[in-house]
Amino acid sequence: MKVSKNELMASLKKAFEGLGFQPGDYQDAADMVVWLETHGFDGFDQLQGALAYLNTTAPIHADLVFEDGYNSVLDGKGSSVLLCGSEAVDLLSSQIMPGYCAALELINCFNRTFIIQRLIKAAQRNRAFIAYWRRLDYCVKVSVAAGGELPEYQTFSITEVIQPQLLRIFCGADLESIEKQYAAQLVFGELLESYSATTMMDCYRDSVEQGIEIDEALWQTLDELVARVLVESTDSSRAGAG
Amino acid sequence: MQIDPQLKKQQTGSDTTVLPLRPASQVMQLERLGSFHQSRLSFMRTLVRRMTSENWQISSPIFDLDEQGYGTVVYQVEAKYGTFSFVLFSHYLDPENRNDRVIANQWDLTMALCEGTVDAEQLEFLRLNVPKQEAGRVDSRVLVLSRANRSERTFDYVVNELTHGRQPNVDVIAEVGYLYRTTAAYGSGKLGMADWEKVRTKHRDFARPFAAEMFTCFMLRHFSMQQADYLAAQRAPKIAQTLHEDIKRYIGIGNSTGLGMAPFLINHPLLINQWVEMRETALATVVAAGESGVDEATLAELAIATQRVIQHLGEIITADERQNNSNVLVREELQTLHLWLQDQGAVVAANHFAWADLIHYAEKHWLIETQEVINTLLIELYPQLVDGLEEQMGVEESQQITPEMSVAQLLQIIEDKYDWALAIDFSRYESMGVFWYRSEEKMEPRLGQTNIDLGMEKEMPLDIGRRVRECYDCGSDYNQRFPHQNVAHFIVQNPNYSGTVARIQTMAEKHYGEIRGNLVDIGVLPIHLLRCKLSFFGVSKFDPRSRLWVRNTMFQGAPLISDFGKPFVDDWQFPIKPILTTR
Repeated sequence: MKVSKNELMASLKKAFEGLGFQPGDYQDAADMVVWLETHGFDGFDQLQGALAYLNTTAPIHADLVFEDGYNSVLDGKGSSVLLCGSEAVDLLSSQIMPGYCAALELINCFNRTFIIQRLIKAAQRNRAFIAYWRRLDYCVKVSVAAGGELPEYQTFSITEVIQPQLLRIFCGADLESIEKQYAAQLVFGELLESYSATTMMDCYRDSVEQGIEIDEALWQTLDELVARVLVESTDSSRAGAG
Repeated sequence: MQIDPQLKKQQTGSDTTVLPLRPASQVMQLERLGSFHQSRLSFMRTLVRRMTSENWQISSPIFDLDEQGYGTVVYQVEAKYGTFSFVLFSHYLDPENRNDRVIANQWDLTMALCEGTVDAEQLEFLRLNVPKQEAGRVDSRVLVLSRANRSERTFDYVVNELTHGRQPNVDVIAEVGYLYRTTAAYGSGKLGMADWEKVRTKHRDFARPFAAEMFTCFMLRHFSMQQADYLAAQRAPKIAQTLHEDIKRYIGIGNSTGLGMAPFLINHPLLINQWVEMRETALATVVAAGESGVDEATLAELAIATQRVIQHLGEIITADERQNNSNVLVREELQTLHLWLQDQGAVVAANHFAWADLIHYAEKHWLIETQEVINTLLIELYPQLVDGLEEQMGVEESQQITPEMSVAQLLQIIEDKYDWALAIDFSRYESMGVFWYRSEEKMEPRLGQTNIDLGMEKEMPLDIGRRVRECYDCGSDYNQRFPHQNVAHFIVQNPNYSGTVARIQTMAEKHYGEIRGNLVDIGVLPIHLLRCKLSFFGVSKFDPRSRLWVRNTMFQGAPLISDFGKPFVDDWQFPIKPILTTR
């Protein structure tokens, strides 16, 4: 079945609310899912993976476990980027100073692909980001220029040992500054694949024009989560209806 | 008039004019928002101007009704930039099932506004789904889905009169104002429809907020009268009359609006800010224009418009005591204004601060509702100065955290911009006496009483004042412990406040947007919220049925499709009974 972007967003927000997310969190989480799905990154597959976890526990946010000015480490405690992504990107954004970039590690965290949307949103405030993480046997690198509305998404072969649940993010005034300051850490193997901005935009335009294809079972799952925020209707409650 | 310390710079060509806008502390009070009337910037008004000036062509390639008026009608709309189809299904409805509430599942009419033309296959798809409304699914070719019920008081009466070769009595029409009431007009991607983004970017004809929804109601109005004419002709082909065009213009579409609109206003603060700011900019522009003198013709125009509102309010029939009393008082105060304009016209014309003085006087002596009627009338006087603002009524709703801001600065913003929230004593039961929730019945928003009704734990986050208060208290405590820390660190420690912080920081950049009222106070009047939004839609004749829902009339007095392309005077606001001219 097909749903519209607005409809999907509304359903996701309520579904995440049903999972116990707070207002800021459910808005951000819905934004992340919708962005991935509408730009061709299989957001629904990622969502299903996340729901399997989120449905079993109360929402967990990351803890700040290390900070030394321009470097910080957040421990996601096994949670999802849907919950920890915003605070990670906001914390990192707050740490750059003129002429200096900053770096952040988010450890013990899942569903890292969702971070792309947060990076793009934060980039609108004139900041550039580079993030990378391991996925299966390759490494994903995402770069977002300051003010950029689409990322550069590339995959590389792995040349260093990257913990499976680690996400590294770098922030600066522009991509060149980040690449220069963190050159030693931004070393990747062979370029395996690039996902072009044109492909992302084509996918997005198609989503807006035609709607978004969603598996009925997943839509049903979302409906069931939405039902958690609904209140039983009684004769008394009907008196409070307009 | 109170002058806002914040002055708005408005770019007009090469000139930069600084306009004093009214302060949010005045404009965004619930009672004032609930006293707004439609203006030249309201969506119905701008839509009508567009349709008439662009001479939209509307035909009905399918008009397939039986002798009872049931069947299918498809209108083809040739707008300036595109072709659209308005598809309507007319059904038999057992009077016992006629219900205006959101929870209804059958209606007299169901409708869809679609892009392009509709072929037989799509028509069948629509026939299967549109009558089901929320229980059906449509696709992205559909822009709006709507439904309507007949007025039991007027529809049969009008058809009967026409059938007997008579025009209906205008007084009977005036009591109701319409033949059909719409109970919902869904757009913006609901139920599989086209996203607002698609409508905005692909269909320039409807690229303003709620333009497609308003057009759907306009087409419903057109059909309602066409169906009445059709039924009369079916029943008495030799003697039946068609509705007099002056009566047709006086017939609008009824609307019932309940709590569903209230969460929209709270959840779209940037959009509400934009709407209010454009209206306030229009008013400030008019006041500034008055400083260079007001000619006698303009004064005469205001006097005529004032007299029209007096008549309009006198013709409203409502059982709501509060609204009735208000209408009576507003009429009296407008009568004073009318006399003053007649007696003091020449003096006013010589006064270079005529409008500022008038507004100031009204604020000191008259009801808020009278003040807002006057503001609306003043805006009407200068179409050439304000109509351009209609292109600026849209905005993307997106809130963002400024993480590097110090917590101390965040607290300062709360003290400056949310002083109204900090002034509320939330320790009082009354301050949290109600809560908003979504019912399992079509997710309908409802109002519950704290500690009495079920569902408090599933409360909708519409209590902005309380949330800001809690954020402020938590932030103050945090700031004492970590005096030089920034917002990002505060949120890492207190992630539950991220949404509130994003809202505070985003709205701090705006004049308006936050409604300055405690929406969980036991005495809250949600009807103020509904009326605010409805005023931007452009409705008239507010008839509150309780504190939770209001009946009103859309497009009453507006031109007909047959008027498109003809010379048009945009003065159909505040509709009054027509004096029939000979045909």
